[in-house]
Amino acid sequence: MDLNLLRRLIKLVEKSEITEFSVQEGDLKVKISKNGSGSVVNFTAPTNVAPQNTQIPQAVQQTQESSVKEESKEEPKSENLHEVRSPIVGTFYRAPAPDADPYVQVGDHVSEGTVLCIVEAMKLMNEIESDVSGKIVKILVENATPVEYNQPLFLIEKD
Amino acid sequence: MFNIEEFDIKLDTQVIGRNFIYVEEIDSTNDFLMKTEENYPNGTVVLAEHQSSGKGRRNKEWKSEKNNNLTFSILLLPNPNFPNVNLINLSASLAIAQTLENLYQFDIELKWPNDVLINKKKISGVLIETISKSDKIEKIIVGMGINVNQPTFAGKYDIRPTSIRIESKREVSREKLLSEILNQFEENLLLLEKSSSKILNAWRLRCKMIGEKVKIIRGKETKFGIFDDIDHNGFLILKTREGYEKIHGGDISLR
Repeated sequence: MDLNLLRRLIKLVEKSEITEFSVQEGDLKVKISKNGSGSVVNFTAPTNVAPQNTQIPQAVQQTQESSVKEESKEEPKSENLHEVRSPIVGTFYRAPAPDADPYVQVGDHVSEGTVLCIVEAMKLMNEIESDVSGKIVKILVENATPVEYNQPLFLIEKD
Repeated sequence: MFNIEEFDIKLDTQVIGRNFIYVEEIDSTNDFLMKTEENYPNGTVVLAEHQSSGKGRRNKEWKSEKNNNLTFSILLLPNPNFPNVNLINLSASLAIAQTLENLYQFDIELKWPNDVLINKKKISGVLIETISKSDKIEKIIVGMGINVNQPTFAGKYDIRPTSIRIESKREVSREKLLSEILNQFEENLLLLEKSSSKILNAWRLRCKMIGEKVKIIRGKETKFGIFDDIDHNGFLILKTREGYEKIHGGDISLR
């Protein structure tokens, strides 16, 4: 199973009211359950699976009782990437006004507090600042298009 | 001149307007609260006699004659029980409508999302700006502009403007009006925390476009349909041939 997909599943469960969630892909069964603040991930792989498949579950099993954040450190490249998400449903604008320059471009270095964009809903203009310092590696939404609550807007490579 | 003492006597709030900043001239009261490094308390109100660059949506201008109107901004700091920001938007325009009805017996119409109209003319507008660090809202600034004692309006406007003076044929106290709007707004915010449906219903009652055929223009896109209702978030529900669609922005007009 793709580790990124697993991470997304854990995040989804974490944010939702669900306390337990399981999914099966081929022979691999993943069960995610929530106890108190952190999430716990359980893997159960049948004994007859191919060796290359069992490697991942074993690695995760060791961190079974630790929090999700610690677990994702296993892949430092994506750990360093930070998503900036939308606090509201609305329309995404990259510039303060229709004829103005965008707040930021891909490749720009931003600090915590740098304004990245505006999301507008019902004439409510929401100015979104970066919550980390780093380099903008990707802008995930087109200018003047709708965004959902919690939708990722920017990918920032943290300093 | 705005008489702060007279305003203060009539103010009956716990939080809103208790910290009051009065300035003769400023670029924009919203910008002042957006950009300030000061940690002003929740409910701080900034009133300016004149805004050199008063703002509307997406850099449209808000024009207002000096010493005759009310242009001010309210700072709200979110707490864990804080309701949906879009409902604060509706609570703000509702507070202005309720106050104008109570004080001057006007027949007020609310235009989605937050314009306040009398006889199809605009008497007040609301511009809300928020600052978020990623998905966490840190402060909310509610800007209100009310045309009070301005006798005439020259120039070009999206919606024809009017003032309380034009509609009631008399000059009114800006101090009393401001205190009553803030009293009502605080009351609405408290009610919103307890029962948002009461705020939504009070808003619906004053929205005369509900049930009508409307046109919604957003950028290059135009949509037609029937303004069916507003949902629990305050979004417009448009009934079209294809079904129901939720609209969260755009300029709406009768078809």
